Amino acid sequence: MAIHTLLFASLLIFSLIPSSREGNKGRLFSVLQNSLDVTGKPVQDGVVLEAGKDMVTIKWKLKSSGKVDADATFKTIQVKLCYAPISQVDRPWRKTHNELFKDKTCPHEIVSKPYDKTPQSLDWTVDLDIPTGTYFVRAYGIDGDGQEVAYGQSSDEGRTKNLFSVQAISGGHVSLDIASILFSVFSVVSLLVFFVKEKKKAKLEQRE
Amino acid sequence: MGDPTGEPGSSMHGVTGREQSFAFSVASPVVHTDKTAKFDLPVDTEHKATVFKLFSFSKPHMRTFHLSWISFSTCFVSTFAAAPLVPIIRENLNLTKQDIGNAGVASVSGSIFSRLVMGAVCDLLGPRYGCAFLVMLSAPTVFSMSFVSGAAGFITVRFMIGFCLATFVSCQYWMSTMFNCQIIGLVNGTAAGWGNMGGGITQLLMPIVYEIIRRAGASAFTAWRIAFFVPGWLHIIMGVLVLTLGQDLPDGNRAALEKAGEVAKDKFGKIMWYAVTNYRTWIFVLLYGYSMGVELSTDNVIAEYFFDRFHLKLHTAGLIAACFGMANFFARPAGGWASDFSAKYFGMRGRLWTLWIIQTAGGLFCVWLGRANTLVTAVVAMVLFSLGAQAACGATFAIVPFVSRRALGIISGLTGAGGNFGSGLTQLIFFSTSHFTTEEGLTWMGVMIVACTFPVTLIHFPQWGSMFLPPSKDPVKSTEEHYYGSEWTEQEKEKNMHQGSLRFAKNAKSEGGRRVRSASTPPDNTPNNV
Repeated sequence: MAIHTLLFASLLIFSLIPSSREGNKGRLFSVLQNSLDVTGKPVQDGVVLEAGKDMVTIKWKLKSSGKVDADATFKTIQVKLCYAPISQVDRPWRKTHNELFKDKTCPHEIVSKPYDKTPQSLDWTVDLDIPTGTYFVRAYGIDGDGQEVAYGQSSDEGRTKNLFSVQAISGGHVSLDIASILFSVFSVVSLLVFFVKEKKKAKLEQRE
Repeated sequence: MGDPTGEPGSSMHGVTGREQSFAFSVASPVVHTDKTAKFDLPVDTEHKATVFKLFSFSKPHMRTFHLSWISFSTCFVSTFAAAPLVPIIRENLNLTKQDIGNAGVASVSGSIFSRLVMGAVCDLLGPRYGCAFLVMLSAPTVFSMSFVSGAAGFITVRFMIGFCLATFVSCQYWMSTMFNCQIIGLVNGTAAGWGNMGGGITQLLMPIVYEIIRRAGASAFTAWRIAFFVPGWLHIIMGVLVLTLGQDLPDGNRAALEKAGEVAKDKFGKIMWYAVTNYRTWIFVLLYGYSMGVELSTDNVIAEYFFDRFHLKLHTAGLIAACFGMANFFARPAGGWASDFSAKYFGMRGRLWTLWIIQTAGGLFCVWLGRANTLVTAVVAMVLFSLGAQAACGATFAIVPFVSRRALGIISGLTGAGGNFGSGLTQLIFFSTSHFTTEEGLTWMGVMIVACTFPVTLIHFPQWGSMFLPPSKDPVKSTEEHYYGSEWTEQEKEKNMHQGSLRFAKNAKSEGGRRVRSASTPPDNTPNNV
């Protein structure tokens, strides 16, 4: 009982930590300015990229068509990998929400850098833990308080153009498969050996 | 009395109806202690222990208890091992919500069949081999997770791993060969409850193992596969321990051969008939589906729910999810105790009300869990929901032994199967489609619990009454002897086959409540005080 109470108490303490993040509640994506020009191009067009191997060239800069000092409040640029709608179907954990704190469209961070007024470029190798899917790139301009103030993305508003596909690693290895088979065989064989040995012993004892 | 040659599912035979959940020892002088036997615990004439010493490992009785509940718990660990890792697995295997839900359904469906077969296996091989065979032959299914590359493989492997939940039957069967029938209620309830804890332990264990493997350098999609080796090894270890340290009967393993042929076997067809035609059986099948069933469903969805809804880390979500399953440690026995306590004053009617109140409360807390918007309220609601559901499981099996004496084994088996069926059904309806979000699914599951608990009001015993109706006034029908005797035909009664049921009926008179007990205290019947 005491252990259970301790567990419960530590839970409450844990819960206080994330709840402090919810001060950001209510901030909407729709109020963000689309003042960044972002492109994300795979090394070869039309080819499915392999996680851990292939690269995507990402470029971002302030839109020349926008206001002159649109980037006045930017302190950091955060570039993220985002799911295209086709990869969100039947997967509610990737759902797009207007409230930024709820939004799950862009869970994978590519890079987070202090804002530089000059156009930036990055050759990014797709991470090993990126799942199979169709993606685009989005960059957020973040102010000194850590709040998003502007964004830009490599795709259009409906997120249907300029997408690229990634094929994830399988996660399996030959050594893993071999170990798996070895232990399975050991389990079955040792059971049968025990069984046969005990049956023989019982037969011997019965004869005595 | 739980002998190895009994019919399938006969592990709960020997329960007389006087058991109190907290009966740690047999107080009745009717049970003769065999003083010549050299065991660490006092034993009866069959060498079954008459005392339940929880923290002892004395051979063979308490050792059997610990081997048995730990192997059952291991099977729960492996059956639900995937659940806390779903946030990683779903990305590796590109699963949709439907795939995840179907895998959850598959994980509880296999054991519906395997539990029915397990009774026969225990009859043939004995509970020790039954347990060891199942645990060691299902180890390959756990290891085969490393080969899975898509939804079909994932669902198939979870289905195959789920077969090992049949260790429930071997566990209960084994207990009944080792412990006297007057304390078997507590022993079986504790073993089952602690076994179910495995569903909570795994929520804590798997994320921690995964985290350690990640930090050792493996990528995410490899680490979860390696993590599955841990439950696999547990299967092998427990199988070996059961084979080397366990024994079928208090006197050893050979005695089984000597005992064959001593007991007049009842006909399976007849027992099945009496089980199936008793309407109470089916109400309990439904009820258990919404106490045990929802517990299993929640084991499958709760970690992912906390991970997604409250943006927690994997091991934090696992820690919270673990609290749900771990409450079994005391919640299930507490439910049985509450039932016994109410039976002391109100007899069977008290037991029925207790069951209805506890299970309905659990359902309401489940609704609250679905509607909770902050982490703290969700955790509180979840804990209260777990207490309600698990105590209801204990309270259910405090009543089941009284539904029938002749068909007790089969009714217990059917009730158990109903639990898994209910779990599969709720996961299919509420957690496998895009129609409901997980929080909506939890809310509606709670509503369904409340609705499906109403049939408790329909359970009526002519000799004891029901929730709203008093016992029958008919002088013949209102006796326990009539109720239990009605399971035998006149021909069978002529052969005196029903003597066991008559003995049971006499002992079960205490279910009439306090006024019955105070009215009839024959001098040679020492009340079984807790």
